[in-house]
Amino acid sequence: MTVTLQQSTTSGVLEARRLHNEKLARKADQTRAAWFPLALMAVLVALPLLQLTGNYNYVLHMVLFTASYVAMASGWNILGGFAGYISLGHAVFFAIGGYFSGMILARFGVSTIVTAPLAGLVAAVIGYLIGMVTLKVRGPSFIISSIALLMIARILFDNWEFVGGANGVTLPVTSLPVLWAKIPYYYAMLAIAAFSVWASYRIKHSKFGLGLRAISKDEIKAESAGIDTRFYKVMAFALSAFFVGMAGAVWGEYITYLRPNIFLIMPIAVNLVLMAILGGKGTVAGPVIGAVLIVALNELFVAMMGASELNILGTGLVMALGLIFFPLGLVGTLARRGKLPRVLNWD
Amino acid sequence: MLEVRNLCKHYGGIRAVDGASFTVEKGSITALIGPNGAGKTTAFNCISRTVTPTSGEIRLDGDRIDHLRPHKVTARGLSRTFQISRNLAEMTVIENVIVQSRVDGWSGLFRPAMSAEEKDKAMSILEFLGITRIAYEDGHNLSYGQKKLMDLAALLMSDPKIILLDEPAGGVNPSLLEEIIGHIRALNEKGLTVLIVEHNMDLIMRLSHKVVVMAQGRVICSGTPDVVRQDPQVLEAYLGGILEAEAA
Repeated sequence: MTVTLQQSTTSGVLEARRLHNEKLARKADQTRAAWFPLALMAVLVALPLLQLTGNYNYVLHMVLFTASYVAMASGWNILGGFAGYISLGHAVFFAIGGYFSGMILARFGVSTIVTAPLAGLVAAVIGYLIGMVTLKVRGPSFIISSIALLMIARILFDNWEFVGGANGVTLPVTSLPVLWAKIPYYYAMLAIAAFSVWASYRIKHSKFGLGLRAISKDEIKAESAGIDTRFYKVMAFALSAFFVGMAGAVWGEYITYLRPNIFLIMPIAVNLVLMAILGGKGTVAGPVIGAVLIVALNELFVAMMGASELNILGTGLVMALGLIFFPLGLVGTLARRGKLPRVLNWD
Repeated sequence: MLEVRNLCKHYGGIRAVDGASFTVEKGSITALIGPNGAGKTTAFNCISRTVTPTSGEIRLDGDRIDHLRPHKVTARGLSRTFQISRNLAEMTVIENVIVQSRVDGWSGLFRPAMSAEEKDKAMSILEFLGITRIAYEDGHNLSYGQKKLMDLAALLMSDPKIILLDEPAGGVNPSLLEEIIGHIRALNEKGLTVLIVEHNMDLIMRLSHKVVVMAQGRVICSGTPDVVRQDPQVLEAYLGGILEAEAA
């Protein structure tokens, strides 16, 4: 038996309310600038044309590098931002993606760009299985379990002779001339990054995303509201692993080397988390802004101070100051204050 | 409709609920009362499976639900509110309501979070409760009473057959209390079965068809309000002071 509410007496009010809501929706549309990410994409797609005028490999490398972090931070954001489960072990899926596609390349010569979606799926399946175990705890316990996952994976890969152990595996180098060698990886990584941002937008606006947000606020309430919290959380874990795994696959071939101390290191795991948090976790644009900022700042400080310990200090200082003045991240805090520029409103 | 048999919940040596049995008839308003620590809220939590009962049987329409996970219980048509309103902060009231609507299968998972029909339905529920003006307000900016109403609205979104209200009158002002009583009665007249835990005797006596009295984890008496009022065991355990004061 369902509760049907009498609408006849209130239909006039409802009609007025519907018009009002439509007005609100239109207003929200006007503060959003969907053209901006598309324009940005168009510029980045056209960027390799620079190679016709000279050697801009450095620029392409920086964009590719940033795009890999955009994909990873956006993927991480599905679990860490929407569902509120902070994982410091997502470098594991970066490694799984990299090793899976890299080993196929080394054995059978199939490019990682082709096998990247498959690598993502493998990472997602492993993420699903790991999530079933580790997502039983939350808060600090979950964070520690994710760090443990990274350490276990590191020991495993360091000693797994089939994939080269601690020495790693060299991958075949592309036969393209130097000027064009980066182009395939550039486009592949750009596509993965764009896909992950688009997917996180779609997820945020779906029933699934609403459920994840409910879980991040109050899990007991979410469960009693009829949300299968365990399934939602594990799915979020798998999806976030999917994007990180895809980025790892292409990254492996790009740097032509698979080695545990390239993939399975704390700095990567922490960096993608810091990017999502500095940009604004739980927002669509946040991880993108965070990735651009942190990569740019790192590069700036290296140029200014040299690759000493000082440049790390500089980045750390900016991080600390950023979070003092923007506790919810740049996008999150500005949106809360109603001062978010339209070009950054992708939600 | 709802049948609880020999329900036990032990926390270590503490027997919060110790063999409670009672039934809730279809279409009725049943109240669960008792002094503090009688095990009312624990019994509630066991029924909605927020906590796992130590032993005992809970049946909804004849099917056992005591082994199901909470969201399955909700899907079977049993929804609850919490004593201390649990709302989802940083989500608007309408999101808080729509989050409770049913999601089926994989395709349901990735459809838009708030469809036009769901918005209409949520709005008509808010209209019914008279709180449409706060529909786009953030959940944690609400007053205590508004939170209670929002909980009730969210409850109705899942099309329940039976609703469990944990102290719907706790901490609300007298005029809002009248409003809530009116809403509960109206919902019941539309065929919704209601189980209430409440300390407000006035509300219980006016509203309920049947009262179940718990003390120290057990059901000591059940029946119509008038029967319960005169039961010597109940008077001794709990009601005595209040009724004598009323009589005087």
